Amino acid sequence: MIWGRFSCKGGVLGVLAALLLIFSTGQAVAAEAATTAMTQDAATYVGEQTCAGCHVTENKNFGHTLHAKVFRQNPKNEAEKQVCEACHGPGSNHVANPTDKSALISFTKSWGTPVAKMNEQCLGCHEGGNRTNWGGSIHQTKKLACSDCHNPMAKFSANGLLKKGSITETCQTCHQQQRAEFRKKSHMPVPEGKMTCSDCHNPHGTDGPRLLKADTVNELCYSCHAEKRGPYIYEHAPVRENCLNCHLQHGSNNDKLLKMSRPMLCLQCHDKNANGMGHQFMDPNINPATGTSNLPSTRIGRACQNCHSQIHGSNSVSGARWRR
Amino acid sequence: MNIRPRRKNLACCISLACIAMAMQPAHADSAYGVDAILGNAFNTGYAGGQRDPDATPSKHTPTGQLYGVPYARDEAVAGATSGWVEIGILSSGADEKAALFRKYKDPQSGLYLNSFGMTTESDNARFLDITGGGVGNDDQFYSLSVGRYNDWKVKAFYSETPHVFTSTYRNLWSGTGTANLTLNPPLVAGPVAPATAATTDIAIGNAALATPYSELSLIRKKGGIRADMNLQDNWKVFASYSNEKRDGARPFGMVSAGGGGTGGVEIPESIDYDTHDFLAGIQYSDALNSATLQAAASLFRNNVGTMTVGNPMFLNAANGIVAAGGVGPFPRAVFDLYPDNDYYNLKGEYARELPDMMKGRFTGVVSLSQSKQNDNLIPSTSYAGATVNAIAGGAWDTVASLSQPTANLKVDINMADFGLSLKPVDDLDVKGKIRYYETQTNSNYQACNPLTGQFGRLTNDGSGAAMFNALQTNGTAMTAGQAAALNAFMAANGCNEAALASYLVANGLVPAAGNVNIRSIPYAYKQMNYTLGADYQLGNSNSINANYERETLERQHRERAETWEDKIKLGYVNRGLENGTLRLSFENDRLRGTPYISDPYDPFYSASLGSPNTGNLAMTSWIHVNSLHRKFDLADRDQNILNGRFNYMVRPDLDAGVSFQLKTAKYPDAVFGLDGRNKQEQNSLNFDLTWQPSAQMTVSGYYAYQDGKSEQNGIQQNACVVGTTYNFWSDGSISTVPQTAAQLAAGVTLVSTTTVTSANFLATCGTASATSPLYATSRAWNVAQKNQSDTLGLGFKFDFSNMTVLDVNYTYSSNRTKISYAYNPYALGILTSGAPTAAQLLTLGLIGGGFSDLVLTQNVVDASVLVPFTKQSSVRVLGRFEAGRIRDWHYDGVAANPTPGTNQQTYLDSGPQHYRTYVLGVMYQYKM
Repeated sequence: MIWGRFSCKGGVLGVLAALLLIFSTGQAVAAEAATTAMTQDAATYVGEQTCAGCHVTENKNFGHTLHAKVFRQNPKNEAEKQVCEACHGPGSNHVANPTDKSALISFTKSWGTPVAKMNEQCLGCHEGGNRTNWGGSIHQTKKLACSDCHNPMAKFSANGLLKKGSITETCQTCHQQQRAEFRKKSHMPVPEGKMTCSDCHNPHGTDGPRLLKADTVNELCYSCHAEKRGPYIYEHAPVRENCLNCHLQHGSNNDKLLKMSRPMLCLQCHDKNANGMGHQFMDPNINPATGTSNLPSTRIGRACQNCHSQIHGSNSVSGARWRR
Repeated sequence: MNIRPRRKNLACCISLACIAMAMQPAHADSAYGVDAILGNAFNTGYAGGQRDPDATPSKHTPTGQLYGVPYARDEAVAGATSGWVEIGILSSGADEKAALFRKYKDPQSGLYLNSFGMTTESDNARFLDITGGGVGNDDQFYSLSVGRYNDWKVKAFYSETPHVFTSTYRNLWSGTGTANLTLNPPLVAGPVAPATAATTDIAIGNAALATPYSELSLIRKKGGIRADMNLQDNWKVFASYSNEKRDGARPFGMVSAGGGGTGGVEIPESIDYDTHDFLAGIQYSDALNSATLQAAASLFRNNVGTMTVGNPMFLNAANGIVAAGGVGPFPRAVFDLYPDNDYYNLKGEYARELPDMMKGRFTGVVSLSQSKQNDNLIPSTSYAGATVNAIAGGAWDTVASLSQPTANLKVDINMADFGLSLKPVDDLDVKGKIRYYETQTNSNYQACNPLTGQFGRLTNDGSGAAMFNALQTNGTAMTAGQAAALNAFMAANGCNEAALASYLVANGLVPAAGNVNIRSIPYAYKQMNYTLGADYQLGNSNSINANYERETLERQHRERAETWEDKIKLGYVNRGLENGTLRLSFENDRLRGTPYISDPYDPFYSASLGSPNTGNLAMTSWIHVNSLHRKFDLADRDQNILNGRFNYMVRPDLDAGVSFQLKTAKYPDAVFGLDGRNKQEQNSLNFDLTWQPSAQMTVSGYYAYQDGKSEQNGIQQNACVVGTTYNFWSDGSISTVPQTAAQLAAGVTLVSTTTVTSANFLATCGTASATSPLYATSRAWNVAQKNQSDTLGLGFKFDFSNMTVLDVNYTYSSNRTKISYAYNPYALGILTSGAPTAAQLLTLGLIGGGFSDLVLTQNVVDASVLVPFTKQSSVRVLGRFEAGRIRDWHYDGVAANPTPGTNQQTYLDSGPQHYRTYVLGVMYQYKM
């Protein structure tokens, strides 16, 4: 039964399978493949002065990062005292053979340290807190490395040791679709620097869907739109359940981040309407035959909300239709 | 029961946990909370000026994207102080036309302190960090952090965000932003004869035209403080408080009389909100365990909970409320705006590594919340003397007329989420998860006046009413004796619905046509999610993953008691390509549910008090919606989503990326609502490119294409009157009269007839069919929407050898929505069956087949040239040029004619306008 549903998607699955096969065969040349067998177990710490002896520029830039300040000024354990080797692992083998990519943990594509190993290094200190749900999260499943977003080797961002100047810029290096959505007529104030992706999402994983920082979409929205929280005497069912029934989260070509232009948005559920539907679509020009206009109030401006202004819910005893 | 072994086990667990706590290292937390960013449009991210010429420009992230080049900095010295300030002159051309440009930013001409910052450290790792910007403007921001690295940190912040709703609002009131809006002359609140509705319509229109445009906007002013402290190695505590004040106004609707037929006026809603947020928690983390326990509270306060508005409309006396003292019956409207509310949350999160159990990991989250409000309720009218259905003593203008004096509402929210991941073999990870989420509400407001026992409500300040009425079972009005007896019964009944229903049956009475709310609907739902997933390593750098999730939702008082959705996701990741990374995923979702009940709301309406009569009763309001209509959030849905992203290092100094998403959704059982025959689609295709040939130069670009389409169907209601025979004609028209001469001449023939009775009204009118008097399929309409967006971004940054930095960015975006519609003009009565008039045909031509496109096109150029003339001092010239073209038919004609009808309906927001604007600045930058 369930397979029957997939028969029509055979083409898509076929493409996926073909790509999988094609790229699987390419793994012989994979950079990561060459370095899975890390030889660090036998290595010993050499100290940051040794590292800085060769990596002069990196050391100079690293000095301005929070990691450097923590490791150098107030380390709390032996690992942190190792500074460079706290993240890169003991460096004696690397010193002995600098070109041996299995001798040191590095965080760039070309070095080829497996992502799991890179992330293990980071989580060694950053486990728990907002990373509690990293395992199984969408970013983890897509095999993102911490260093796909973070670059602790220099100060690129005010906070967070990001690879770009802001959280928004960092996220948009992959999420181009969302970048474009923030350019639409109504949008969250992200391009204006007043909001950022991590105001709503925790990229390190959450227990709920879509990396949202709250238990539900609505609870998340209420964190800025607390007035919509109610509860109200007269609720609007789809509003109470999910703001995204009517709104888009990033940007929209309609007012108020609406999914669809009004009144069509409302008419998806409420096709019962006292006004003639043809008149819903009346051209705004004055009717030359009568000298008056048949402009319906359900179409101009905020359309249905010209009357049903308390559409998110009403606490008025007269507000069963959200007009007061 | 022997509990001794359990105690022993518990003691062992606690002991082991304590040992673990003492032995494990510290775990830092770099996570962000809300307000993760402080900045404004001119300070969107960290910028350090000239880049380090010695840095390697071609390092790539593990995915294959180029890292940026670090900024040129001197060697870091512990205990040093550094800082900067950028101040200068700004010239802004952002006038009132540029409302879209100014929506979330506030560039003002004049002296401008764009940004400043200072960091100072002591030798013992203590630090102080101050930043700020946009000083004095409505998008200003500041932060102050103090602490000791790796020990503790206290951060205070303040930020303002403007939100311009419109700059073309004709404000007819004084007192905007307060609880009382007073009409400006020459308009008067509550006009009386010799004024009429028609003359008042003209007067309001003239007043609007004589009123200059002004702005409706608000400002969010938010400040807060957060403290984080590491306790020992494993423990961390945090606490925060923030307060946000929102001040301003936005366009809002005010309708008067019954059902809005008398029109309404667009008013400014006053906004004066305070939100206090509290958070405190403790975190623990060691090699095996991590846990967080936190408590949060959010208190919302509306300082304009009730807003009184001077009403310029000419309104007729209603419900016993009459003109008095030369003022019309309804000179003011009263709005019960958003109530104060309190929200509390307690959340615990625990994760445990299980190294001896197939390298497993357990996660668990429990969250308990309560949302409540108990605002005072205000009477349904502020006018004395209201009598409804000639029943005296209602005292409708007093709280005594309400079934309860305060809202007394709460929603309890419970959530629990447990997951277990295992690694049965080295290359395989499996994870199972169960999530439970439930809301419970105590909502039970009765729309009943306990003084008279009348069910229903006065609407729109008493200028209208939606009240329960009764008729005799044959559809005729009650006799005087029946009415008096019923009134006496209701007065003594105490709003007892069951007793009233019994009384009606016993006395041969039935509810009248108007089906009105008699109580609130306590919406609540329970959601369960069951997830099972696996991630398998095909090789060292390839993996496939599969995930199955079932989501069930049990809803109270909705069209479907339960829905369930099966979500199957497949993914593939290949990181093994030497120069690239490929990520693909496909998701198939299938939502189904219990039988769809079109009208689950009957128990909350007066129709539930009895059966329909056998007489001449209009049943329209007794039918919620046609039974073939599906509300999209509850409808069967089949959805497919294909995602792909490929990053490729074309050269060491050039990376490229392409990503796409193809999304289709179909509502297979929806004849009406979102179209069930055609797919709803949303697709996107994106390209990005970064070229970094040296530490001095970066060129970047991206292009994003999106399109989408959706279709929806509906039916314009006709009529459904018991005892009436409806004739269905071959051109789709419907009438209750025999064939006209014009129909005969035009060859329009009778197709069928339907007679509505009290027994068959639901069967004949409740569903769409060719012969349904209420939902005749000939009156169906279709709307198709197509969206297309193109966004292009280009960036160029170059550091000259003399340390001058040029940074130019260009963004082009084009968004277009095309809406077309189709319908039968004869069926809808736009054309007279058999004999359309010239005027009707002219009207039909005006209606056409669609709206003009919704369009927004923007061109934005940002340029900055930083010219250092000493090591500390620089001059920066910045410019932003932006042009926007917008077309939105919602506002067509409003500027020239704010009262386009004759029913006093008034539109005061003329909508967004084209704009072309700039911001130019010359800034002095000093670094220390």
